[in-house]
Formats: sequence, C-alpha cells, structure tokens
Amino acid sequence: MIIALKALRKNRFKTALIFMSMTVSISMIFLISAISGGVVSMYSSMLKTDGDIIVTQKGIADTFFSDINRSMSDVVATFTGVKESSALILGASPVDKLPIVAIYGVSDNRYDSYTLSSGVYPRSGEVILGSKIYESLKSPKSIVVSKKTFAVSGVFKSRIGFEDGGVVMGLDDAGELFHKSASIFLISLDDLGQSSAVVAKINALDGDIEAKTTDSFIDSYNQFKIIKTSSDVIGAMAFLMGILGIVSMMSMVVNERKSEFGIMRSLGLSSWSIIGKLVVETLVVALLAFAVALGVSLGVLEIIEHVDKFQGYINGEISFALVLNVFIVSLLMAVVGTLLPALYASRIDPMTLIVRGGA
Amino acid sequence: MKITANHLTHYYGDECVLNDVTLSLESGKFVAIIGESGSGKTTLLSILSTLLNPTSGEVFFDDKTVAQWGNIDEFRRKKIGFVFQFHYLISYLTLRENIALGAMEPSAIEPLMEALGIEKLSRRYSDEVSGGQRQRAAIARALVNAPGVVFADEPTGNLDTKNAIMVYELFKRFATEGTGFVVASHDKKIAEYADIIIEMEDGKIVKISRK
Ligand SMILES: Nc1ncnc2c1ncn2[C@@H]1O[C@H](COP(=O)(O)OP(=O)(O)OP(=O)(O)O)[C@@H](O)[C@H]1O
Ligand SMILES: [Mg+2]
Repeated sequence: MIIALKALRKNRFKTALIFMSMTVSISMIFLISAISGGVVSMYSSMLKTDGDIIVTQKGIADTFFSDINRSMSDVVATFTGVKESSALILGASPVDKLPIVAIYGVSDNRYDSYTLSSGVYPRSGEVILGSKIYESLKSPKSIVVSKKTFAVSGVFKSRIGFEDGGVVMGLDDAGELFHKSASIFLISLDDLGQSSAVVAKINALDGDIEAKTTDSFIDSYNQFKIIKTSSDVIGAMAFLMGILGIVSMMSMVVNERKSEFGIMRSLGLSSWSIIGKLVVETLVVALLAFAVALGVSLGVLEIIEHVDKFQGYINGEISFALVLNVFIVSLLMAVVGTLLPALYASRIDPMTLIVRGGA
Repeated sequence: MKITANHLTHYYGDECVLNDVTLSLESGKFVAIIGESGSGKTTLLSILSTLLNPTSGEVFFDDKTVAQWGNIDEFRRKKIGFVFQFHYLISYLTLRENIALGAMEPSAIEPLMEALGIEKLSRRYSDEVSGGQRQRAAIARALVNAPGVVFADEPTGNLDTKNAIMVYELFKRFATEGTGFVVASHDKKIAEYADIIIEMEDGKIVKISRK
C-alpha cells in the first residue's frame, strides 16, 4: 500500500493525467445518464402523479394533436372506481417575446395540483404563470398569448421542473385558443386494481377515444421511446468510451513499467504480488476520480438546473442506483484495465521485460 | 552454488544466438563471460539466471532444475541476485527501499549498506546519487538475501575506470566469502579479477580459462 502511494507520488504527472481522464470519463457517464434519464423520468413522473389512466384521441402520434370531447370526462367521472377525471388541453404558443411556451388548459378540479406561491387561481381571461416564466418575463401584470391578452392572477411552483416554464389557464380559454374541446383526460382511480376494467369501459364508450394505463401509455408513447432509446445508446457509448479510455491508458502505464515488472520478478516477487501493487495503485486513483467526478457532475447539474434558457426542461437526477452502478463500473474499469496488460506482461520472460522495457 | 548448463540453444526468430552451450561452474567463484558485442553473452547470462527460457537445453543449480527447487519466485528470491548494466533501481523508492524490496531479513540491510559505503544515502532516490553509488545500491540489493550466486550483465558498462575497479573488488571480496558471481562484460580489465574466464564468439564458448 505504501509502495503504491509512493509510486503514485513519484509519477505525479502521469498520475495526474490518469486521474483527470478517469474523472472526465466518469463525469461523462454520470452526466449523460443523469440528463437523458432525467428528461424521461420527468415526463413520466408528471403523467404518473397526475393520473392512473390517460385518455387520448384514438390513433394519434402525439398528445399535441389529440382532440376529444371534454364532456366525456364528466361521464367517465361517474364510473365506479374512478376517483377523479379531469380534462386538459396541451398546447404551445408564443407568449410576449418568448417564441414558444407550453400552455396548459385545465379543468377546475385540476387547479389544486398547482401550488400557488402568490395570487389566486385564474378565472376566465386570467392565467397563472410558472415561476420560471414569471421570472424571465420580469413579473408581468398581463401577458399576450397568440394576440390575446390575459391578466396574470398568480404564480405557481411545480414539482415538475418544466411546468414552471409554462402557462396555466382555464379549459374554456384554452379551447378558444387552440380550437379544440380537450387534448387528454387524466383519470385517477380509487384502487389501481380496477384499472383494466375502467380502461375497457372507457374504450367501449366511444370509438374515437382510446384509454391506456399511464404506464402502458409511457411505454408506447413514441417520443418517450425515442428519448429512451437514444439515451440508452448514448449512455452505453459513454460507458464504453470510459472503459476503453481507461484500459488503453492503463496498458500504456503497464507497458512503460515493464522493466520495473521484470526487475521485481528478478528479485523474486511473484507476478501476483506485483499485479496486486499495480491494481492497488489504480484503485486509489479510481476512487479519487470517482469522488471528484460525482462532485463535478452534481455541480454541473445544479448549474444546468438554474440556467434560465433550459427553463427547467433539463432536470438531471443522480439516483443512488446510478451512483452505485457507476461506482462499481469505475472500480471494474480500473481493475480490468490494469489486470489485462499486467497479466500479459507476467507471461513474458523477465529479461525481455527488463531489456525491452527501457529503464 | 554449483551451476551446470546442458546443451543450451537459443533462437530469436530464425537467428541462432546460442549454439549448444554446455558448461559447469563450481560454487563461490568469480566467473567472467567476455566476447564481442553480439556474441551472446547477455543471452547466456539471462538463461543461466532463470530470467529467460532457452529454446532448448537445461540449467541445474546444485544438480537440481529450478522446477525441482520448487517455486521459481522463491528460488530467485533466496538463491539468486542480479545486477544490470543500468542499475535498474526503482525510481520512486529510496535506495534503502529498493534494497528492502526483496529482502527476507530486514536486519541484513544496514550492515550491507555499510559494507558498501552507502549507509548515509539510504533515504535518497536513485536520481539523487552518483552512478557508482547507484551501482553499489544495486549490488546491495543483489546481495541482501545472501544468494548462492549473483548474475551481473555489464555491471560496469556505465561506470568510469575507478568505479569499475571498485565493483570488481567488491565482487572479488564477496566471492571469497562464498557467493558466486557470473559477470558478462566487454571490459578486458575484468580478467585480472575473475577466477574463471569464459570467452564467447558467435553463440559458442571458444575458450574457458581458470586461474
Ligand atoms: N530480444 C531479442 N530479439 C531478437 N534478437 C535479439 C534479442 N536480444 C538479442 N538479440 C540478438 O542476439 C544476439 C546476441 O545478443 P546478446 O545480447 O546476447 O549479445 P551480447 O554478447 O550480450 O552483446 P553486447 O556485448 O552488445 O551486450 C545479437 O545478434 C542480438 O542482435
Ligand atoms: Mg549484452
């Protein structure tokens, strides 16, 4: 252990390089996994906390294009097992100087899912603003949405980051703006066990609408699929890049130290004890790099979250499971990266190592 | 330790660099292997010292192969010492730590460093001492477990005449105390100190002279 630390100290420059590239690789893995995972988990957590069943127009690719009759929401609300059914209009429109802002038209029974930090819930002709858009528009008294002026009656702060960048208004006002009755219904149940029965009942109600449990909706929703797949691919690539980087770096280090390996062999140290020393060295560096990378990633995510431009759309989260996974992978990278080249070196005659390795 | 070699042959690729060498060296002698550059001195020394596996042939230590001695690491540690042309001290360890690396008996380190006149340098790193001092530390590392034989390849190759003579004197002194030395060298001067002189040419032994 002491020998390992001395080796690291004496090779300060190389140690610093290895340390930095390990830190960068591990941070990359963290950030990519966290950010892409964050986007999906944010959408799905929004949908999940809002309802157990989601109803859209049948066969549409995106909730944005969905148009269903809002009066059906009241019918659904009378079904046994249904706790609450609310209608929503999801739209996007320019607001003042901002080119595109999410607009949520919601039925009255949904207002309580927005926690007001000031003011009151909107009446007709009024809106409440998410805290982020409220800030970026510099606390307006009124706003213009698609040439129509609305008074600002309050400001809300949502648990879900990107909702804070949006505008919430009554269903009637939104219906006028977007020329539709409703985009989706969100239905919450008394008991999740009834979900399939309720889904079947809603689907039997009208041929134009389609009910799904929120979970299956998320699984089948195209945009989630695209985000999930691309995040998986990018995440896997970051992992691979990190592993390859460290393995190639370590094999260079071991290669440079071949003569040292040969000398230790000539002094009668066993291959395993020499490999052990090298592995301890890299493990020390990997542990440090992991700790720093975790700190850096948390810092970067914290900054990203507070950048106005993203309006909370990126809300990367580093879960404990991710930390654990990356931790194991980091250590594995270090061990494998050292073992492979070291095992290779241990098969070579010591003299060849000494002479060929260079002093 | 008596060393016997039977029909050692070694190829690097197609090139035969050691051609059917057989020899027997009694224990506790100062043996010099001399010859032109490329004649195969390093190759023979590496094979005799277990650091290189020959293409064919066998080496015996006190009539036993290394396999018969047991574990090769143990054998090297207890029975064999090495000195190389470039001292090959490990740069991130102090002289003392280098000597201690393979030492079985730490109490042997101090007296040995004293005997070699480097006791004051024990906390220095190899790049903080002179070439002669470095080579003395390397010799101490080779001798620390009181091995039966020390192999040295061009141990004076990087030293001036004065330091070279110092190294030969050291070898001679320890040889009289029972440790054998097998030393490959260009240096003609070594002949004045060695008990046995082996001359090589083109991978063959052409002459062995004993004093
Ligand atoms: N690892 C190697 N691969 C290929 N050829 C080698 C290798 N090592 C040595 N040789 C060749 O083997 C021959 C003998 O080399 P060796 O090092 O044993 O000679 P030497 O007598 O020690 O020479 P020198 O006095 O220059 O040290 C030379 O022709 C050399 O080119
Ligand atoms: Mg040589």
